[in-house]
Amino acid sequence: MAVFSILLFTACFRSHPGETDSPGDAIVVEDFRGETLSFSQPPRRIVCLIESALSALYMLGADSLIAGVPQSVYKADLYPWYARLDVRISKREMPAPGNWDFVSLESLAAIKPELVIIWAEQTDVIENIERLGIPVYAVMLHSFEDVHKEIRDLGTITGREERARELLAFTEAQKKTFRRQISGEDRQRAYFMWSQGVLETSGSRSTVEELFQLAGLENVVKNQDEHLVINKETLLSLDPDLIIMWYNEKLDPADVMTEPGFSQMKAIRSKRVYELPSVFACDFWTLKYLNAARMVAQWAYPEAYSQNDSLLSESHLMDSLYQFHLKR
Amino acid sequence: MHLMKRTFSILLLILVPVLLATLAMFIGPSGEGGWESVLEWIRWKTGSPADAGTHPELTGLILWEIRFPRIMLAFLTGGALSLAGVAMQAIFRNPLASPYILGMSSGAAFGAALALAWGFMPPQASAFLFAALATFLCYLIAVRKKKLAVLHLVLGGIIVSGIFTALLTLVQYLSDPFKLQTIVHWTMGNLHNANNTKLWTSLIPAGIGVAGILIFRWRLNLLSLGDQEARSSGMNVPVQRGLIILLATLATSGAIAVSGIIGFIDLIVPHMVRMVTGADHRKLAPVSFVAGGCLLLVIDTLSRILGSYEIPAGVITMLIGAPVFIFILKRSKIVWGT
Repeated sequence: MAVFSILLFTACFRSHPGETDSPGDAIVVEDFRGETLSFSQPPRRIVCLIESALSALYMLGADSLIAGVPQSVYKADLYPWYARLDVRISKREMPAPGNWDFVSLESLAAIKPELVIIWAEQTDVIENIERLGIPVYAVMLHSFEDVHKEIRDLGTITGREERARELLAFTEAQKKTFRRQISGEDRQRAYFMWSQGVLETSGSRSTVEELFQLAGLENVVKNQDEHLVINKETLLSLDPDLIIMWYNEKLDPADVMTEPGFSQMKAIRSKRVYELPSVFACDFWTLKYLNAARMVAQWAYPEAYSQNDSLLSESHLMDSLYQFHLKR
Repeated sequence: MHLMKRTFSILLLILVPVLLATLAMFIGPSGEGGWESVLEWIRWKTGSPADAGTHPELTGLILWEIRFPRIMLAFLTGGALSLAGVAMQAIFRNPLASPYILGMSSGAAFGAALALAWGFMPPQASAFLFAALATFLCYLIAVRKKKLAVLHLVLGGIIVSGIFTALLTLVQYLSDPFKLQTIVHWTMGNLHNANNTKLWTSLIPAGIGVAGILIFRWRLNLLSLGDQEARSSGMNVPVQRGLIILLATLATSGAIAVSGIIGFIDLIVPHMVRMVTGADHRKLAPVSFVAGGCLLLVIDTLSRILGSYEIPAGVITMLIGAPVFIFILKRSKIVWGT
């Protein structure tokens, strides 16, 4: 059923490379700083220094426009995925002039990019890139709507608006399936744990909050901060039903369950500590938040989800988003 | 003979940095801007059409918008820090003194972090203001009965440094991971974001500080003899010392506001140069400026070309500086404090 729906989806909506809705029209988008960018034609050489935005470009099928990637794609946890997406990455031939925390201006300029995609917080680097006469699309993601805007904008920039619309329509359809499945359930209360530390979490104005809402959970942290550190006492008093860990190289759920002082927490007593298993496949800053939400929902409501297969499995979801079957 | 030796020394002080800077202009991680492409760029600038397969426009961009400001800033920062180190060691009569003794580095780091976290002003301006504020606070602590107590100044530096370090930690604690990473990078000391605007921004305060210390360098000889000796030669010691501290503050804060915290240059370069020139500040000051500039220029060039990921210059200066300093201490015939 799921496989059939993917094939139907891709067959109906498959875009042709280089397709634009209105060829000849100026391409105009506003980035996350509120800066307007305009192009007479899609930039032919894009250096993308944000891994999640790079994912978006591959989802859009803009592979041929990518001329530079962030160094993080060559890290062990991401490389196998990107090697599948791009032969230049698999051969380690794609230039990687920087990352979200550092950019070599000279290496970047040598790629001769027509557009650089970078985090809006990197103001110093942005200033320098723009001084070189290279347009910058700056990104800042605080919500799923921001993720959707990024897809729309990148679709417009690369001349793949139709594919962007397909992806967003697909995402909305998947989200509706979630909502139908969790109706009538008692909401579970969850705590999210970032990899930086046991007490690092996200509050009510974050993609984590939206992820929990999508999966039918309530975030125990009511603070409005996107990223915050709470104290142990507060966490104990919040007493979540389950703990969701972001992918963590240092800690496993078993380590959290034996954390001193945690033993009386409901989530620990019921052994409901779960870790999102992959940085790539569960990335909240891409449409793959659907995959993370699916996992979280299945951990929170195992009975409700065991009887329903309308949510796509990870491999099927990846195939829908990245069109791996076409790349094969 | 003396004139020839003097002329040769001055020529050396000019030629060595010029040669190093020229060499550094041809080296970079991109492979662009080598000898051949520079020749091609010169041909293109003089009106000849560009050969197929070459891109002189890109070469020009890399040379003048990326490498040139970075090389100049590296030289200026290294020189300014070394010279400020010479001045501080002279007026405090202490071989461990450095511009950072007055809490400047922690003040600048806090200022930059504050601006990076909440964006109320450019980080360079904020770093400069807080570095100057740290020095001013040290002064307030050290002034007793309208006199500047040197020991109190040093203790004030430790206290002010502690306060700003605590405030920096607080800003880091409250910052999201993006901003935290940017702050950490800034405090490591790095020149990878140099540009011509930053060069000029740094050049004004640092240039005034450097020029002032070089002009008044002979006074450092008197101040380094001690208060009584300086006073007996007719010098108004508190005013002169205040002036030198002000100039050193300008030189240091102007430099680190743009480059971040680059440690050890201010400490080791004066000691290395003193071994060659002796303790006469008329020679020690200009040679330290040039040597500090050249050292940071070489370190920054290495950090640009070694590996695919740049190691911050501040980290390399610490890694190289510490063993070099130990070596100097062991080999030096001067035994301080005995």
